[in-house]
Amino acid sequence: MKAIMIVYNQAHTEKIEYLFDKNEIRGYTKWADVMGRGSTTGEPRLGTHTWPEMNSATLAIVEDDKVAPLLAILKKLDDFNAEVGVRAFVWDVLQSM
Amino acid sequence: MSIYGSAVKKPITTIMVFLALIIFGVYSLVKLPVDMYPEIEFPAITVFTTYVGASASDIETNISRPIEDALNSIDNLKEITSQSRDNVSVVSLEFEYETDLSEAANDIRDAIGLVENMLPDAADKPTIFKFSSSMIPILMYAVTADESYEGLEKLLDDKVINPLNRVEGIGSVSLIGKPIREITIGVNPRKLEAYNITVEQIGDVLRSENMNMPAGSIKMGQMDYALRVEGEFKQSDFIKNIVLGNFNGQSIYLKDVATVRDSIKEMTIDERINGKQGVRLMVMKQSGANTVKIATNVHKQLEKLRETLPGDIVIEKVFDSSEFISGSINNLTKTLMYALGFVALVVFVFLGRWRATFIIVLSIPIALVVSFIYLQLTGSSMNIISLSALSIAIGMVVDDAIVVLENITKHIERGASPREAAIYATNEVWLAVIVTTLTILAVFLPMTMLSGITGVLFRELGWIVSITVVTSTVTAITLTPMLSAMMLRIRTHKVKPRKWSYDNMVLPVFDKIDLWYGRVLQWSISHKTVITVITFAIFIGSLFLFTQLGTEFMPQSDEGRLSVMVELQSGTRVEKTVEVARRIDKIISEYPEVVLVSTSAGSDSEGGMAAIFQTTGSNIINYTIRLADLKERDRSVWEIAEEMRTQLNDFPEITHYNVSTGGGGMATSNVDVEIYGYDLDRTTLLANNLAEKFETIPGARDITISREKARPELRVELDREKMSAVGLNTAMVSTALYNRVAGLVPTKFREDGDEYDIRVRFNEDYRSSITDIQNITLKTVTGQMVKLGEVGSVIEYWSPPNIERKRRERMVTITVSPYKTSLGELADAIQAEIGKQEIPREMLIEVGGAYKDQQEGFMDIAMLLVLSLVLVYIVMASQFESLKMPLIIMFSIPFAFTGVILALYITNTTLSVIAGLGAVMLVGIVVKNAIVLVDYINLMRDRGYELDKAIVLSGQNRLRPVLMTALTTILGMLPLALSTGEGAEIWSPMGISVIGGLIFSTIITMIIVPVIYRAFASRGERNKKMAVNKKFAFLDE
Repeated sequence: MKAIMIVYNQAHTEKIEYLFDKNEIRGYTKWADVMGRGSTTGEPRLGTHTWPEMNSATLAIVEDDKVAPLLAILKKLDDFNAEVGVRAFVWDVLQSM
Repeated sequence: MSIYGSAVKKPITTIMVFLALIIFGVYSLVKLPVDMYPEIEFPAITVFTTYVGASASDIETNISRPIEDALNSIDNLKEITSQSRDNVSVVSLEFEYETDLSEAANDIRDAIGLVENMLPDAADKPTIFKFSSSMIPILMYAVTADESYEGLEKLLDDKVINPLNRVEGIGSVSLIGKPIREITIGVNPRKLEAYNITVEQIGDVLRSENMNMPAGSIKMGQMDYALRVEGEFKQSDFIKNIVLGNFNGQSIYLKDVATVRDSIKEMTIDERINGKQGVRLMVMKQSGANTVKIATNVHKQLEKLRETLPGDIVIEKVFDSSEFISGSINNLTKTLMYALGFVALVVFVFLGRWRATFIIVLSIPIALVVSFIYLQLTGSSMNIISLSALSIAIGMVVDDAIVVLENITKHIERGASPREAAIYATNEVWLAVIVTTLTILAVFLPMTMLSGITGVLFRELGWIVSITVVTSTVTAITLTPMLSAMMLRIRTHKVKPRKWSYDNMVLPVFDKIDLWYGRVLQWSISHKTVITVITFAIFIGSLFLFTQLGTEFMPQSDEGRLSVMVELQSGTRVEKTVEVARRIDKIISEYPEVVLVSTSAGSDSEGGMAAIFQTTGSNIINYTIRLADLKERDRSVWEIAEEMRTQLNDFPEITHYNVSTGGGGMATSNVDVEIYGYDLDRTTLLANNLAEKFETIPGARDITISREKARPELRVELDREKMSAVGLNTAMVSTALYNRVAGLVPTKFREDGDEYDIRVRFNEDYRSSITDIQNITLKTVTGQMVKLGEVGSVIEYWSPPNIERKRRERMVTITVSPYKTSLGELADAIQAEIGKQEIPREMLIEVGGAYKDQQEGFMDIAMLLVLSLVLVYIVMASQFESLKMPLIIMFSIPFAFTGVILALYITNTTLSVIAGLGAVMLVGIVVKNAIVLVDYINLMRDRGYELDKAIVLSGQNRLRPVLMTALTTILGMLPLALSTGEGAEIWSPMGISVIGGLIFSTIITMIIVPVIYRAFASRGERNKKMAVNKKFAFLDE
């Protein structure tokens, strides 16, 4: 089991939902409005007058084999328009109930 | 859930809401009446008091003054004026606009109740008369007839006036100059004396012969019969055979001593239409009724009625105020359509996407439709104010939609799906959109609080622009995102633009302009001082031009109608006046532009209401002239009027004339010089002196002195001792005189349900000289016959003038109208002339009239300007959370005024209240552009760009949106400024001033605002990071 956290520009919302359905990922937790800033080039997403855009974050716990295709497709999405921005982070889930 | 979120997620609901709005709006549009101006009740009430036998000065002291004193403290009273002339006092009260007149009338009634006891016993009770717009005729027809002329009154009454009165919305229909049937018994006084009969005796005989009387009932057998005596004259022909009495055993018939004529009343007025004998038919509407609709109905009805009339009766239109109204409205509607087309074009050129253009342009009809609903709910009408307000708003309502759509497109181009883009992009800009709307409201809402006549006119404009702009904002954050979500297409991959596509053709041009502007901006901010000095020099230079502008209250419009009043030597008999009228008729009919001339010479004693609007008298000729349509003639109404003036100058008989070009209504334009002073002779002298001086002012026309000229009168002075010796008194003598000269009406002749006067008077040959009057025989109580000349004498003398008062002081007014000069210049020249004239200390001169309205109007506009500036500052200060930013932005405002001045100067337009209003509106529109720019500069600096770089980048980035909003407004108003048809003179100054101001200020804004920004800003002040670093520097230690 892996935890995958996707942080993305809100403009990607529908696409992320579509990806989850497509990859048969049922369970997830979503934070609709989150703020942040990219480590290298990513513009701040602060929902302020200066930086009006906002991000959303989705955390999903998935089977190990589902991680790779998901990341591949997210990469494609990011390449399509880097300005908008989407990032995914994967880590191990040690235990669950 | 946010409003835009819901709108995008529930498209059907959104569409339905807007559909409902559109349906309601279209319904309102269909129902809306069409009129020239918003409903304006002229707030005036007049108090009439008659006091028979009193002279003008007696009337002034005993009636006018006490009434004025009593009414002076009435609420909302603006001005009190009075006219005292022989027998009658007229006190006029002018109230502030929008005073409740019925309440004011009640107050007046109460106040008069208090002084009533102080008025002379013989004076009649004062009557209160409320002026209303329903008394101004909206239609006037000329009716001419040949053989049916004598019976015209009855014919028109039965077949035209009664049916017309049933047309919905008609207040009243009246005839001027109608021939009135009367049975005149012209007696020969010599014969009367011979038979020892008096006029009164003839009256008594007629009265007692012409009667029907029930005389009880008689029971005969089973029946009950009513008994009646029927003595009424069945035919007018019977009258001459009435037996007056016996003389030496012989019956004396009426025909022995008099001629009996069943004809029309001796006319004191001569009505001609295009030189033919006729009458004028006037149609008045009910207050608040739809002029255009009534006019159409009346025309229709008249077509039908025409068939029922004899063939020789011709009904022709003299004027139809609905024509100018519908002409103006059609003209403005066209203007509106052009504006819509232009705006759509601009949006398309800038966006290059037809779907986007459609979404944006759609906000125009929706905003328009909502304003129709407003007009319908407030009971207003489609008028030139509401329509020009819409014209102004058209360019502004798209702005919000543009901002929203631009941001949505940006997101879509970055790969967001239209639905997401619509929600998130709107979320980013909705607040900014609302704030820019607030700045517009800061300008237009105060307009709704204007007072006075300017307020009545422009309140509607303020409301309509405010409502449409608010509607457009609501549309921009609901309908625009929703439609974008539905109509725009997601970009799944980058497409290479085709050769002839928009992206390949137009975009590079825009990009080049952006780059070029960036360079200009870069140069400007590094040459701050030069730029600042130059721009301020331009501004100050324009202020000098400002002093060269002519000023005026309301622009004059060419309604194709002339009213000419010609006055001959006072006391001229009507026959002589008519003769002159025929000669002038001939001159007027030679003008090719003249379509119809209605001449009215003399005065109609029964004219009633009409007499209030026209000065009449036996020596006065009034003309109403209709000119051909504007398109079919080369000369304007003013040029024609001027030509007529020069021709009228050639008549030595004419002592005074007045050629006015307005068709009535509010657009009067003249300077009134009011001379206050108690001494009538001296003020008249001063007025005459000044009037003579004014003649020399170029452009001064129609100089009229309000105090009527003394009129020759015959006065009978009785010797009381002689009278008492023969047993007569003044009352007996004056009644006898009245019966013989004016005539005695002892009874009426009845035929077909109508009554006609039977008038007994001396035959005209016996009452046409002073000797005739002296020879009038009076019968004393003892039956003796005495000549009037034996108990009194007839003296010729000049009647004292009427006495006018204003603000409880005597005054005379000299009215001057301008020709080819502005009202302001004329007023200045007049004031200069007054300055040269030595004015006695007890007299006071004031300049008023339309000039005063103009000054009041300009004061209102100035107040409005200050109020708007303050409000705009408040909105901006809170938006930027800064006291400095609004100041930087407001630097663009003076240049808007420079643009207005330049535009007015170049187009040779006078500065009127309308043009001034255009200037005020600019405050909101111009500031909006600067806000867009400054806001973006701030944003860029907050994002960490260095000051100069931020300014140049922002300029390049915001150039297109600024140009776009400016161009939509400019092109939206261009048809307004350029229109030339009916009524265009009224609103084109507004278009000219807004366009001029906007073009100039847009250019300047894009340079001076960044320069001033650069001057005020210091490097690093907006660098929050540095500030934070400083604050927490202690952590590093």
